[in-house]
Amino acid sequence: MKKKFLLQLWVSILLIPLGIAAQSPEATINATLSGIVSDEKTREPLIGASIQIKGTTNGAITNADGKFYLKTGQKLPFTLIVNYIGYDTREVLVNTNTIEIRLLANAKQLSEIVVVGYGTQERKNLIGSVSKVDPSEVSAIPVGSFDAQLQGKVSGVQISSPTGVPGETVNVRVRGATSINADNDPLYVVDGVFVNSNSLQTISTGGKSSSPITDINPSDIQSIEVLKDAEATALYGSRGANGVILITTKRGNFDQAPKVNFNASYGQAKAVKLWELTTGPEHAQLVNEWWINTGKDTPSLNRTEANRPFRPVSEGGRGLPEEQQTYDRLGEAFRTATLQNYDLSVTGGTKTTKYYIGGGYNDQEAILKPITFNRASFKVNLDQKINERVQVGVSNTFTRTYRNQARAGDGPQGGLLQAALHTPTYLSPYNEQGVLVGRAGFDNLTLLLENYDVNSTSLRYIGNLYAEAELLSNLKLRTSWGVDYNNYNESEYWNTFLLLGAQGGLATSSISQFSSLLNEQTLTYRKKFGTKHSFGLIVGNTLQSDVLTRTYAEGRGFANNSFKIISSAATTTSTQSWSKSNLASFFAKADYVFNSKYLVDFSLRADGSSRFGADRKWGYFPAVGGAWRIKQEDFLKDVKFISDLKLRASYGIVGNQNGIGNFAAQGLWTGGAPYQGNPGIAPQQLANPDLRWEKTNQFNIGIDAAVLEGKLSFELNYYNKYTRDGLLQLALPSTTGFANYWSNAAEISNKGFELNINSVNYDRGGLTWTTSFNIARNVNNIEKLENPLRYGSRELILQQQGTPLYSFWVYKQLSVDPQTGNVVYEDVNKDGQITVADRQIVGSIWPKFFGGLTNNVSYKNFELSAFLSFQYGNKIYNHNKFFGEGGGARDAARIIFASNNARWQKPGDITDVPRPDGVNVNNYRDGGSRWLEDGSFLRLRSLNLSYNLPKEIARKLRADGLKVYVNGTNLFLLTKYTGLDPESSASSEQNAQGIDLGTPPQPRSYQVGISVTL
Amino acid sequence: MKKFKYLLYIVLLTSATGCDKYLDVQPLESISDTQTIFDKSSAETAIRGVYSALSNSNYYGTTFQSIGYLSGDNIQWTGSQSQVQEFINKKVNAENATISGAWTAIYRTINRANNVIAKVPGVTDPLLTEALKNQIVGEAYFVRALAYFDLARTWGGVPLIVTPTSNPTQNRGIARSTTAQTYAQVLKDLETAEPLLPSTTDRFRATRKTVWALRSRYHLYQKEWAKAEEYAAKLLSDNTFQAVKPYSAFFANDARGTQESVFEIFYSANETNTHRGQWQPQTNGGTRQWAPNDALVALLNDATKGGNRSTLVAKDNQNRWYGNLYYRTPATDPTYVIRIAELYLIRAEVRAQQDKLADALTDLNVIRSRAGISPSTAASKDAVLLDIENERRLEFALEPHRWYDIVRTGRAAQVFNVTDPNRLVLPIPSGELLIDKALVQNPGY
Repeated sequence: MKKKFLLQLWVSILLIPLGIAAQSPEATINATLSGIVSDEKTREPLIGASIQIKGTTNGAITNADGKFYLKTGQKLPFTLIVNYIGYDTREVLVNTNTIEIRLLANAKQLSEIVVVGYGTQERKNLIGSVSKVDPSEVSAIPVGSFDAQLQGKVSGVQISSPTGVPGETVNVRVRGATSINADNDPLYVVDGVFVNSNSLQTISTGGKSSSPITDINPSDIQSIEVLKDAEATALYGSRGANGVILITTKRGNFDQAPKVNFNASYGQAKAVKLWELTTGPEHAQLVNEWWINTGKDTPSLNRTEANRPFRPVSEGGRGLPEEQQTYDRLGEAFRTATLQNYDLSVTGGTKTTKYYIGGGYNDQEAILKPITFNRASFKVNLDQKINERVQVGVSNTFTRTYRNQARAGDGPQGGLLQAALHTPTYLSPYNEQGVLVGRAGFDNLTLLLENYDVNSTSLRYIGNLYAEAELLSNLKLRTSWGVDYNNYNESEYWNTFLLLGAQGGLATSSISQFSSLLNEQTLTYRKKFGTKHSFGLIVGNTLQSDVLTRTYAEGRGFANNSFKIISSAATTTSTQSWSKSNLASFFAKADYVFNSKYLVDFSLRADGSSRFGADRKWGYFPAVGGAWRIKQEDFLKDVKFISDLKLRASYGIVGNQNGIGNFAAQGLWTGGAPYQGNPGIAPQQLANPDLRWEKTNQFNIGIDAAVLEGKLSFELNYYNKYTRDGLLQLALPSTTGFANYWSNAAEISNKGFELNINSVNYDRGGLTWTTSFNIARNVNNIEKLENPLRYGSRELILQQQGTPLYSFWVYKQLSVDPQTGNVVYEDVNKDGQITVADRQIVGSIWPKFFGGLTNNVSYKNFELSAFLSFQYGNKIYNHNKFFGEGGGARDAARIIFASNNARWQKPGDITDVPRPDGVNVNNYRDGGSRWLEDGSFLRLRSLNLSYNLPKEIARKLRADGLKVYVNGTNLFLLTKYTGLDPESSASSEQNAQGIDLGTPPQPRSYQVGISVTL
Repeated sequence: MKKFKYLLYIVLLTSATGCDKYLDVQPLESISDTQTIFDKSSAETAIRGVYSALSNSNYYGTTFQSIGYLSGDNIQWTGSQSQVQEFINKKVNAENATISGAWTAIYRTINRANNVIAKVPGVTDPLLTEALKNQIVGEAYFVRALAYFDLARTWGGVPLIVTPTSNPTQNRGIARSTTAQTYAQVLKDLETAEPLLPSTTDRFRATRKTVWALRSRYHLYQKEWAKAEEYAAKLLSDNTFQAVKPYSAFFANDARGTQESVFEIFYSANETNTHRGQWQPQTNGGTRQWAPNDALVALLNDATKGGNRSTLVAKDNQNRWYGNLYYRTPATDPTYVIRIAELYLIRAEVRAQQDKLADALTDLNVIRSRAGISPSTAASKDAVLLDIENERRLEFALEPHRWYDIVRTGRAAQVFNVTDPNRLVLPIPSGELLIDKALVQNPGY
């Protein structure tokens, strides 16, 4: 048993990916065996399956037709061991010279290979909490990056797309959020390279930023693993607190004939709905009402019916309400967007070389003009065996991501949705002279759309060079050198038709360069002692050095609109910045398996960071884990019903330092305080020599079980995370002359559970129906925070001890008094007046639970897949509506939403929209709870129908396989939210989430595609 | 196994070499705060840093100035930020972001001045002459005096911080001094600055003359009429200062450092003044968040009242009025802290207060004549004082005087309808109260 286990482990971990290169011994008997390996159910040939004669090193690999041929040198009968990733290994007794071997796909995937920190593991031996995702399941969803595609796929990982603009930052939270001022983003590792996930964008697009993750073409990804608990992330100690996302890109196989893969898809996207606005006459009516109401409230204002703004022109007014026009600007700004994607790849290998070459082109228009996203990528992965013991290889990703950008968020000038949505509908885009003019302080939409010229080009290289040597039979040394280089080039040109360029034009150029150099050594040792003990050890070190430089130039005053480059500007200014951080790490992990039943491991990582105080640079991050494979126990061995049962537990400490300044611990004076054109110096920040790592203790307990021959399996995890020494920009009284300083002052907890259920509901006669469901709950709480912190527009978010992060701080509207039409707010301190002391926390952005549900039905060559994601119990602030429900008080300065028509008009009216009165006086107070809404939703993220051409027909077309598919996204959305998209959030600032302002929604899209394998 | 150990050592040792050095990364844009002011050059750059703090957009750039004019009765608000409307309504909340921005910027200026005052006298550099050393320290005292003056007239008594902050435990938990004590600190700093500074004319940096000008204003606020008159006279008798004609000559056509100016803050294309953005209309690249209200537009355009001061306002392409004192591209508009016109009007006022009505009218009419309007013929003390008050409203229409003038003369109830005396000082920013328990809020907030 043990021997078999060991063999299997070695075969699957090492030999399979490398191919079996063992030399056949001289055949003593000139016997041969030929055959074919195929899938038990589909009868499709399996390419690259390994066949080995038991007890020898003699074997072969199936070719592109699933066939193999072998000089056996054996007398019949003998036993073959047949191995193929994702299938049960089979031993077959051979009695003839030709044979057909059918393998059963391993539904419960116990032998599935899972990539973990610095290695791979079979799922059955996992101790930590790791989710593996097959990116091909979601690859048809048209967004910019794989993380956006994964929403709802990974339990405990909350992913939300705050905007419908492709390629903008997606919010990814693994088991909640642990920090206020340090990053809460997970660590991304691509083929062993820690990649930058912080946007390099400097130009303002109204609060949002481009996502660096979009530089990775999802089509190049083989597998994605999300490491969640401390056991799994501890080897990434310093940066493991927010989870780790491991990306493994595609590689070739040894001894594989070249395989060409081509994918193409084309589609369209459109907003499901847009904001409903008042017509011109309705707008005017509300303004008149507000005018008269405020006149009644404050007679000194002298506002009466007689001098109302919308009275006949003959009386000096703007005309009667019914005389007003209605201008549709939203229709002008939104469009049906086209989407296209093409991928071409070649994989293959010889006995000693294997390769993957891939090229991709992705072009997506946003539904909001003129925004586009365009990515061209190129990938080469190469592995070369130098001899039986030494292998070298490279991974290379080159990407160029080009974006036409626009301000789709906050800010008056250049603001697209300000011009399209926030401009009152009754105002003509033309002035009396027939010239296009901007209204309400915003740009003119037509001019904006015609003249928008803001774009960025990201050139990215992510590469890695490794050498791996088997020093002894059980000891392997690997050294790896990696680079993440990003050149991010942005430019803006605002000509004289636009507000920002009104004074002779404005051009800016910003070039950011980020480089991360990485060197890593690992030594891996694994040995079996006796028949029951298996021991493994990995030690290693990492050096990482990150540098970010930036050069910015700006020119104002151009001769005319044809000159667009800063060199032709009348005045130019420029700045430069430079910042660097270093990280040195040592790590070790030891594991021990007894009798394939009991697994324990212990790991320790020491990280030194240049960011912390002189004596506080080093942090130590230990973790311990254990698992018990109960199914292997004698008392369960014969219980047929239960096919697998495992109990796992782990505890460990992981750290966080991302997001703080590279020089956060140092006391600094800046040279940037000039006066009269001469340099000046000034205090910049106070030192905190005690600044140290933020540390998260995490406990995890989990159970994995499968019943009915693996047809129904589930995984349940409970976790408890507690973060101490939370990195915080602690506020200082202004009397010190400083606003704040970096300190370790917060404590935050996250507790929750995750449940995954996978089932094969039906599997007979070529019809298969499978379901996969995940649900998770996370309870977040700020355990310690000396003083509350306010974030977001109108300070809508309050971080305060005893409540969850990102809680909404509002005046709670109880009702609208049917007699007066005025809002009744809850008077929390019962002092008879509504003051800031009556603001209270009402809900947060955290859902009570969230997850996803995928159903797959396949019949013969057809496959239908429906993928739903959901979230329940979170709040969202409809800030667009706050502006749009001003009750007329903003008059010509702002749009009014159609919902404002439901306002109180006369005693007895029952409504939650009060009578129009002054902004912020009472009824339209900043931070009123009327605009705080339930953000729960159920979304059909994707519906996909595909048809695989039968092999014989595909062959006739000289193809190995041919698939056509149609895909739809966002086909339905169930939500009570009255805005457009319950995931919308205006700002990428992590402390100001959940405020929906000027954000294009995620569109509904339809695509057709074809995939050909040659 | 031996081999393994050997290898392990190699890997660990080679990587560990120089680890401490590797983890010591120093910035290139900043310097350590352990050695900052130590020679002539660093002393000179440090005092420029003090002026830079004064010019910050939250202090004399925009924010602090806006308190002075938004709280008056000349300006209306057109934007969506209610923090602006609170000043116009004279119902400022302790949560208001403008007051916290200004409070913070003023104390940051004080900390920079404190660094110069504490460190420059100890510098031993033969190139740093005693005269230059005195000048630099004197300038820092002047800026600190101005900062406490601004704090006192806006919030009343405040914590008095006179030493630099070098770690987070210093200069906090200090209770507010009384208003009188705060003003006493202003006087003390001005008295210290005066002998240290040269008697030259520099319109962008403090000299002995700048100190006199601020002292004149200080004594006016203290109702020490004779003293105010004495210090105003020191400048009014100095022919380097003139009420330039016409009114717009001190700001129009990119003028800078004219004879009108006693103290103005310098901005350049690299050190811009964002103030224009709030005033200019969208077609000029601004937001016109605030604009002259109908009453002010009418007054300025009244040939008998505004005269040629009508150049302060202009119309945009949608027929809307906007303030045009800050207009330059690039945004290099100076901030006018003290103009000679103010000293004429101070002397007019304090002369009237001392019943020297004819002398008072002489000073007042310098300003009226410059504006191109007929001389005042007010005959009683009250009438002269009212004429001066109204003159100041138009002369400083877009400058931060109106609120402070009406408050110091005790006429807020009559002019602004503010009857609650608690409303005459602004609330201490609520964020400060949260962090520093030693601070006590002004009554009524």
